[in-house]
Amino acid sequence: MERELSVVGKRLPRIDAPAKVTGEAKYTVDIKLPGMLFGKVLRSPYAHAMILKIDKSKAEKLPGVEAVITSEDIPVKLFNSGLTDLLVPEEIAKNDPRDQYVLSNKARFVGDAIAAVAARDRKVAEAALDLIEVEYKALPAVFDVVEAMKPGAPKIHDFANGNIARHISFPGAIGDIEKGFQEADVMIEETFNTTKQLHCPLEPSACIASFDSIGRLTVWSPTQLLYLARHKIADIFDIPEGKIRWITPFVGGSFGNALTLRAEPICIALARKTRKPVKLEYSSEEQFIATQSRQPFTIAVKMGVKNDGAITALQGKLTANSGAYYSLSGTTTNVCMAMFATLYRCPNVSVEADIVYTNIPISGGYRGYGNPQAMWALEQVVDVAARRVGMDPVEFRLKNYRRAGDPGWTASLPIESCALEECIKLGMDKIGWREKMGGTKEGVKRRGIGMAIQRHVSGTQPMQMTHSNIMIKMNVDGSADLMVSGCEMGQGMFGVLAQIAAEELGLQIGKIHVVNGDTDETMFDDGQHASRTTYVIGNAIIETARQVKQQLLERASKILATRVDDMYVRDGQIYVRGDLENKISVEDITRRATYNFEGQGRNIAGKCSYVPKGNPPPYSAVFAEVEVDINNGATKLLKIVFAHDIGRAINPTNVEGQLEGGVMHGIGYALTEEYMVNGNNGVVESDSFTNYKIPSTLDMPNVEVIIVEQPTPSGPFGAKSVGECGLNAVAPAIANAIYDATGARVRDLRITPEKILEELSANIL
Amino acid sequence: MSKEIARFTINGRECELLIEPCTSLLEVLRDHLELTGTKSSCGVGECGSCTVLIDNKPQLSCLTLAITVQGKNIVTIEGLASGNNLHPIQQAFVDCGAVQCGFCTPGMILTAKALLDDNPNPSRDEVKEALSGNLCRCTGYVKIVDAVLAAAQIMKKGGA
Ligand code: FES
Ligand code: FES
Repeated sequence: MERELSVVGKRLPRIDAPAKVTGEAKYTVDIKLPGMLFGKVLRSPYAHAMILKIDKSKAEKLPGVEAVITSEDIPVKLFNSGLTDLLVPEEIAKNDPRDQYVLSNKARFVGDAIAAVAARDRKVAEAALDLIEVEYKALPAVFDVVEAMKPGAPKIHDFANGNIARHISFPGAIGDIEKGFQEADVMIEETFNTTKQLHCPLEPSACIASFDSIGRLTVWSPTQLLYLARHKIADIFDIPEGKIRWITPFVGGSFGNALTLRAEPICIALARKTRKPVKLEYSSEEQFIATQSRQPFTIAVKMGVKNDGAITALQGKLTANSGAYYSLSGTTTNVCMAMFATLYRCPNVSVEADIVYTNIPISGGYRGYGNPQAMWALEQVVDVAARRVGMDPVEFRLKNYRRAGDPGWTASLPIESCALEECIKLGMDKIGWREKMGGTKEGVKRRGIGMAIQRHVSGTQPMQMTHSNIMIKMNVDGSADLMVSGCEMGQGMFGVLAQIAAEELGLQIGKIHVVNGDTDETMFDDGQHASRTTYVIGNAIIETARQVKQQLLERASKILATRVDDMYVRDGQIYVRGDLENKISVEDITRRATYNFEGQGRNIAGKCSYVPKGNPPPYSAVFAEVEVDINNGATKLLKIVFAHDIGRAINPTNVEGQLEGGVMHGIGYALTEEYMVNGNNGVVESDSFTNYKIPSTLDMPNVEVIIVEQPTPSGPFGAKSVGECGLNAVAPAIANAIYDATGARVRDLRITPEKILEELSANIL
Repeated sequence: MSKEIARFTINGRECELLIEPCTSLLEVLRDHLELTGTKSSCGVGECGSCTVLIDNKPQLSCLTLAITVQGKNIVTIEGLASGNNLHPIQQAFVDCGAVQCGFCTPGMILTAKALLDDNPNPSRDEVKEALSGNLCRCTGYVKIVDAVLAAAQIMKKGGA
């Protein structure tokens, strides 16, 4: 019999919401320490330049300035600013170049950090930057991957010939690709380009660092991976790790932006130099030009298909623009390749990638992490293929998709569960697929619909090590402290994890207090990445809560003279099965356990380390309806229907919120967000919300989310993940809808009226 | 730099400060008065995070010089709840799931308050129009608009 749930599955308000609607919630930027200095960073105006000399004497003399630092004042240790290389063994991690210093001794993009200042107030710090004299020798620069790989192109890093940082062959390649092409009745060859999307969290990067009198460092920063950030900082600055306390306050959005070190290393270097607390807040412009963003890819696809719709071969040749440094380019490219290669059944698959340095800002990890780039190409190719063999694109996908039991993103882990068919069925009905497919073919305003699917992960296992470590301690009043490392950046982990804890402990949600993100109080966790929190941490919490429950029941069993197995906890009461009158409250047990005068005293508590064994993938089906004006190419997005295979929604409101937000990023990726670098000097022109347009209320169509719940065996209460899924397949669904409406196939993001018109005129010729 | 006196009412209390004339209201609120509920994101009038009410009108505090609000009545997010009772718009944001990271939330709520004070019965499109200058990178706006419409209903029934 399925257990009746009293907290999980309920649309409970988020537990962090009251603090956020009253202004009480504290973010890193809101924290102030006594005697705190303000940091500022001097950034290179050149895309590529030698630094011949830095004279900081004038800046140092400015009253109020406490330190001016350059690359000479900081540890000479190369590192990778991405943090997840710590999750693989060194023999694998070392394939990813370590190519960054805290402050650069050669400028490799406009915005590269060259020097930094700490001063008593912000304005003095800013004024001091103007007094630092840097003598640069400008070098030729290159911004485009094709140019960068040509012989004679400017060399950005000495070790990277042809500016190729790394070549990767997808390890899951199978079959014989040439044989697969020969077996095909129809061949499709298409090339796609994606853009460097910016995360645009509203809270810009910030950090506060403070050393105490015995040299212990406390850091406040909005990182997604606090233990990994601490580990990397300990290594860079050669500080014993136990001498660093890392705290993550509320985070004002991240979306992957904080999977890398951002303001932290420079802030810590300034605090180390001055021995005073330092706060470094990036300006909005710095956030736009100097933090990392989504890798742009060129993806050349060759697909062979039989007349009956079976895919015989799939080949991808990828080129990733890493920007000036490597950061997370390797893992992002690996995820891109895996998602591209494993969404569909196909006996012959090969994917190769080159990761290329250019003199533009660094590419990091962004929600979806390679999957949106892969889907932009693959989900359009599938649309093309279906039409070429005369099949409905939905039927084509249903015939070919990898489903439960098939190998997942790695061959070693079969797909545990899949509710894609249900998602597709419900989505088709909602959008009116059968009635609307084919669109209106007359008049100036043409309507069309398109769809795309995606599959994602619930963590990075088995590719990376991952474990969650949880403590739950009971208070005397029958409430519980849930100690979990992590980052509440808006995704709702506090509420979701509290709901899981409350359900398993048999407590009301108000009895759970989340203690979060402080290395002095919470144990190791690899952090918030790969949509892992609900699945991995949720399972860890269940295991810990069971230990706590066992202790509660053992004590209750003596008092109620009943076997442990014959009791259960619900709403803070311990009941004997079948006898509702025979009960005792959890509070009574915890009080008697702590204030125990019979020599049996104990703080009831649990602790567990959990290593996930599964990785059930969530699937989604996205449907888009558009209206395109064929005279001017303007696209109006009328509707998005998004059906998601969540396993179990721990909190349906939260699941919808994650998907609606993800869809919005997908709409921006497709239609409004354009990253622009000046081709002459490498200056990032998309440097503000005016010059880089994220969707506003007026850009959002009607978005309908459908939650499909088919509990997955290994999930906490059957849950799979959601965080990144919302945006992965939105852009190709829109592109497919535009094709359906007009016959224009736009292959390069962002979709602009000009590109649509160009395709339309090419079709007529 | 010579300093000037700024006098205004903030969340119902008189306030008098000696400030440099170029100081923005946002800086005064966050740095001098420690009212950090008002958020700073772009700092140049593009995002709406820093919205406060000045004489009941939503204004961007990053673009407002503090000395220009002499004698005016300023309400920030900290001034909206009465005691432990949330304002109906705050409550609706909590109940409808309109809050994610929360960084846009104070500005959104104050903009919504000005709208509903002015137009107690807005359509969905009117809400979207009124909030179009407040960017949110988390929610996709669906639940924010739902919350404002829900709050309108509650306020009509005399909830505020
Ligand atoms: S901070 Fe004022 S509008 Fe963005
Ligand atoms: S809730 Fe994060 S920006 Fe709106």
